[in-house]
Amino acid sequence: MLSLYLILAAFVGLLQAKSSTGDSILVILDNKLNRSDYSLFFDGLEGQGYSLTFRAPGDTTPAIKEHDTPNFDHVIVFAPHTKSFSPDVTPQSLVSSLGKGTNLLLALSQKQNLVNSLASEFSLILPPPQTPLVSHFPAREEPATVIPITPQPNVIVDPDLPPIWFSGIPVAPGNNPLLFPILRAPAESFASDATVDSGADSVLEAADRGGEGLWAGSSSSLITGFQTRNGARATWVGGVELFSDDFAKKHTLGGKKSGNAQLSKDVAAWTFQENLVLRIDSVSHHKLGGSETPEVYTTNDQIVYIAHISKYDPATSSWVPYSGISDLQLEFTMLDPHVRTSLSPVPDTPGEYSVTFRAPDRHGVFKFVIDYRRKGWSTLQSSTTVPVVPPRHDGYPRFLSAAWPYYTGAISTSIGFLLFSLLWLAGGEDKAKTKKE
Amino acid sequence: MKSPMLVVLLAFVASTYAAALALQSPKFTVSSPNGDQIRSEPISLTKKSSPVRLGPQDVLRVTFQVTENDGGTGVQPHQAFLRFYDNISGEDGLQPVRVTSNGKARFELNMARPPSSFPPTSPDSVLKVSLIIGSFVHKPLAVDLFDLIVPASQPVASHPEEVYYHPQPVIEHTFRPEQKTPPAFISAVFSALVLAPWVVLVGLWSQLSPKVPNLFSLKIIPFTATLGAFELLLVWYWVDLRLGQVLLYGAGLGIVAVFTGKTALVQVGKLRKGSI
Repeated sequence: MLSLYLILAAFVGLLQAKSSTGDSILVILDNKLNRSDYSLFFDGLEGQGYSLTFRAPGDTTPAIKEHDTPNFDHVIVFAPHTKSFSPDVTPQSLVSSLGKGTNLLLALSQKQNLVNSLASEFSLILPPPQTPLVSHFPAREEPATVIPITPQPNVIVDPDLPPIWFSGIPVAPGNNPLLFPILRAPAESFASDATVDSGADSVLEAADRGGEGLWAGSSSSLITGFQTRNGARATWVGGVELFSDDFAKKHTLGGKKSGNAQLSKDVAAWTFQENLVLRIDSVSHHKLGGSETPEVYTTNDQIVYIAHISKYDPATSSWVPYSGISDLQLEFTMLDPHVRTSLSPVPDTPGEYSVTFRAPDRHGVFKFVIDYRRKGWSTLQSSTTVPVVPPRHDGYPRFLSAAWPYYTGAISTSIGFLLFSLLWLAGGEDKAKTKKE
Repeated sequence: MKSPMLVVLLAFVASTYAAALALQSPKFTVSSPNGDQIRSEPISLTKKSSPVRLGPQDVLRVTFQVTENDGGTGVQPHQAFLRFYDNISGEDGLQPVRVTSNGKARFELNMARPPSSFPPTSPDSVLKVSLIIGSFVHKPLAVDLFDLIVPASQPVASHPEEVYYHPQPVIEHTFRPEQKTPPAFISAVFSALVLAPWVVLVGLWSQLSPKVPNLFSLKIIPFTATLGAFELLLVWYWVDLRLGQVLLYGAGLGIVAVFTGKTALVQVGKLRKGSI
């Protein structure tokens, strides 16, 4: 029975995959790191259906991109000890591949290196070199730099995730809304280069300097996601040890298995566009009561707008209709939004969102705009241009009660004309009478 | 099975730390900008005192001593942070406190110039102040001190694009008010007024009693019918037709009218001359 389950599980594992943007991953792995120390993470990715290509930071092949075309769909850079990279790995090349849709999973270093200098271009403020995150809480046998963290749940982190082990540096995320902290530091932790109590003064001096002098408390981030405007994702992880087999197998203080394996899988799944990926399949609009899309709308028309939205399902590698967005909004815009209304899911029709609203009484070229951005989720953007025109000459209401006198006037004039014409044409003296006289 | 392991583990943990840390004579003072003491109390670690309220210019001073065990010698820990936590916004600020080598510490918060690490506050936020003491050689210590109520800070400047990442306020278009129409009764009265000349006309005609002997003359009736058709076409235009259709049908009728009119007018001329 058990073996049957195993076979079934293996089968599910085979079917399971993959990213919505592609399955090839380039891993730039530090010479000082062994692949076998991160086997749970890398084998897990391969088991999901990704094809991994390993490369030392100094190697020149395979290149990240050739002829300005990325060679890989995703790039992992785990090179915290590397100072010099081969010429094709530069902040510029990483940024330009990000611009072409390549997703990046980057491990920050305690030393100054390429990944760290790239991070500061993404509004991440890093502590000075050699100042790792330190926490004396809770009392434990591990060094102060190996920290158990109970993750705060968010869209990526599962609420049931057990505590995880972390060792590395914190970053202060800037206020760039494209940034998205995935794992925050514990409240009692801070960045410090001291290893003995007498090093307390350096912390104070750092704090006195003001600005980002002190990396402390839950405002600093340990795993930070960044989603570019074109939808590519980059994730900075404070320390590569998070993905290690050591931490994945290490038991937490409660004696349970740590959540590192699950968290590293979730972080990779988010970075490689498996999760929280949405798309708009189609949009349509028509007048209330009709079904055809008109070329123009008239002011004050009742307009029905319908959008169909799908979410990527990594388990089946397919897009499935998704009705789970509760705060989608539609704007009807001419320079400024004239109408902004919620676009709510239609019950019983998966993936369909609809709203009916009255067109403004201003004519001009309007746009239906969906601009849905939420941290962690891929963005939804759609814009459809429609003209809104005033009523045609015969589109105004008739038979107005206020115009009755005018109608009667016109009709009575017409009848009068007819009558007088008739009298003039058909009238005359009776012949018999005339002859008599 | 579990408990002996736990005991061993706890014993091990205890052995790695020389001793626990303790907080001696924690005390806070609130003074006004001119130096008057408003409130000065020792901080009870077991029972929280009433919330401390600070004015926009007030100064809060917190003093304490960190010692080894209870009543032991003073020590300087690696970490001595005051944490200000706003449980409404979830934001916290950590302010390091300078502890001397004999464990004595003194912290001053001047609300006129709050430190940059102080969290932004809203008018109804209550900051929970706790003290975090950590050390490489001692067991760490975290104690809740008191609740702090401070004046609201300036709102934090957020990124200009931050608003797009949250639901935005609903916008409803303000439509022009419907045009006012006079009551139907008044319209009816004025329509009646428009029809009034007919009364005069019919009254005068009744005196004259005009005759139409040629009404059904086969040479005249087609023209009167054409004129009637023109009037009907205009009514039809009002109710339904477009201009192009009216011009088309009108042109057709016009050609008919030319012939019927010619015939009718010739006939009328003959009648007038009395040749018939």
